[in-house]
Amino acid sequence: MITTKRTINVSLILLKKIYKIYHVGGEEVRALDGVDLTISKNEFLAIKGPSGSGKSTLMNMIGCLDTPTSGDYEFEGEMVHNMDDNQLASIRNRKIGFVFQTFNLLPKATAQHNVEIPLVYANIRREKRLMMASKALTSVGLEDRMHHKPNELSGGQRQRVAIARALVNNPSLVLADEPTGNLDSKSGQEIMDVFDALHQEGNTIVLVTHEDYIAAHANRTIQLF
Amino acid sequence: MKIILLPMPIAPFSCFENLKISITAVLANKTRSLLTALGVVIGILAVTLMGTLISGLDQSFEKSMEFLGKDVLYIRKFQWFGEDEWWEIRNRPDILVKNAGVIRERSQYAQYVAPVSEWWTSVRKDDESVSGVRVSGTTEDYAMITVAEVEKGRFFSRAENRSGARVALIGKDISDVLFEGRNILGERIQIGNYNFRIIGEIEKQGKFLGMFSLDKQVIIPIGAHQRLFSRRGWTGINVKVDNAHIDDAHEELTALMRQLRRLRPSEKNNFAINRQDPFREQYSMIKLAIGGTGIFITILSLVVGGIGIANIMFVSVKERTKEIGTRKALGATSRMILGQFLMESMTICLFGGLVGMSLAYGGSRIINSFFPSEMPIGLAMSALGLSMLVGIISGLAPSYKAANLDPIDALRYE
Repeated sequence: MITTKRTINVSLILLKKIYKIYHVGGEEVRALDGVDLTISKNEFLAIKGPSGSGKSTLMNMIGCLDTPTSGDYEFEGEMVHNMDDNQLASIRNRKIGFVFQTFNLLPKATAQHNVEIPLVYANIRREKRLMMASKALTSVGLEDRMHHKPNELSGGQRQRVAIARALVNNPSLVLADEPTGNLDSKSGQEIMDVFDALHQEGNTIVLVTHEDYIAAHANRTIQLF
Repeated sequence: MKIILLPMPIAPFSCFENLKISITAVLANKTRSLLTALGVVIGILAVTLMGTLISGLDQSFEKSMEFLGKDVLYIRKFQWFGEDEWWEIRNRPDILVKNAGVIRERSQYAQYVAPVSEWWTSVRKDDESVSGVRVSGTTEDYAMITVAEVEKGRFFSRAENRSGARVALIGKDISDVLFEGRNILGERIQIGNYNFRIIGEIEKQGKFLGMFSLDKQVIIPIGAHQRLFSRRGWTGINVKVDNAHIDDAHEELTALMRQLRRLRPSEKNNFAINRQDPFREQYSMIKLAIGGTGIFITILSLVVGGIGIANIMFVSVKERTKEIGTRKALGATSRMILGQFLMESMTICLFGGLVGMSLAYGGSRIINSFFPSEMPIGLAMSALGLSMLVGIISGLAPSYKAANLDPIDALRYE
């Protein structure tokens, strides 16, 4: 069941009758049971719900990491539900920026190199990559930490590196999965300030959380049960 | 997730990036990488050292064969590589110096005929002496048969030979020890207990098959040799023939010798006619044995090394499951991940190959101190190529596993 607080017009993502069905030991599990969802441009959407509510499945679906068993998924006019793995990789690379709960930075690489990675897969030249990575790190206030490795950074700084990595390819959608889940409340607040600022700048953000005060930053919340 | 099809080229775009990632990964686990690559190290070391050894053997063998000459037949008491039983041949008569004259007169194929008597004794000059020197007594024709040139002075003349003059040509080893670079011509030395005058020096010839030095010799007229040393040592006859007719010459000399020895048709030869061919046969067998052993060791260690690398690559994929998930989420396709891990496995092998080659280079320096040799560049390059091939083959299965990981499962992996 989905509750809607508020809607904005121009749609970025259209999900129509999305079903995701797993077969576990001969039993049919409906992780998503006919979900309809529209996400507009410049929306800040929070998805809430307890474990097992299909929250992760929906997030994977929106993040183009997974395809539905049936139903239509349209992302800026591209039909995601028909895509093969390579096309999915390409759309993730071009249009989606991921922020994970556990940051998922490469431990051996500097902040700048971590931020560069999506651009490597986008086949962008090195000089341009370095420039874009520095710009993204500057935008999250880490211009003086570019050559630090993750273990030389605080949790909040690591998550900001991850946000810079999500932003570096100018995605249409920033998808954050419990971005404050591994942070203390002060760092968590800082990260949420960053998301607020991104939203102000016109980015579209989808945030998965189970905390009400985090969800409160969004301008729309959907609750899964 | 769908399974990617097997024949999948590595995207050229990411080669350089993948190389960087691989080098980082290899350097991050230096000890592990080195231990993993040990099989490849040994494999490459074996094949390169073997190549060096064979190249060195080839060089020194050809040099030694030059000493024998491919157009010279050696009439001797025994076969060089004889399979005769010793009791059948122990009573063979000696070759006589006078046989050489008969052969020179009657043979159609012989161009030059020189009897050679050899004896080993010490050579002295004042307080310095060299022992175990090969003292060859021969005729002036010897100069036309041997490939070794007279470097200083001259060979002895027919007249000196006839008169049994006490003149000698000395080898490089003798002049180095006894004269240390001073003038030798006209100097007197003692061969055994007899005084000789030096008239020439033979150019440096090196070792014969790495066994004994050809330069530790003196050459004197056979007349003097017979008078002073005849009751000791042995005599043979060296015959230079036209290379094109060496087989005919061989037969003719056999017939001549049988005639000289008055052998009946039913009797076996009681002498031997040697040439360099059996050396070549023996040598190619030795070479085959060395090569075979080397290739066996190489293949064995590369196979074992390859399995080790496949194993460590599986570990690496497992360890970095989350990284793979993250990379896929950030837009890496399956083939990019495949390329990354293949490159990593190749880098480990290449690293092993390079270590193996540097060790082989050190080893070849050591071999070189025994006899001249060089590390064959072509072989070294193919060895590197081979190690890369091992990297690709052993990296295939782990890399496919990495490439086919479901990004969702990989991201969730702890």
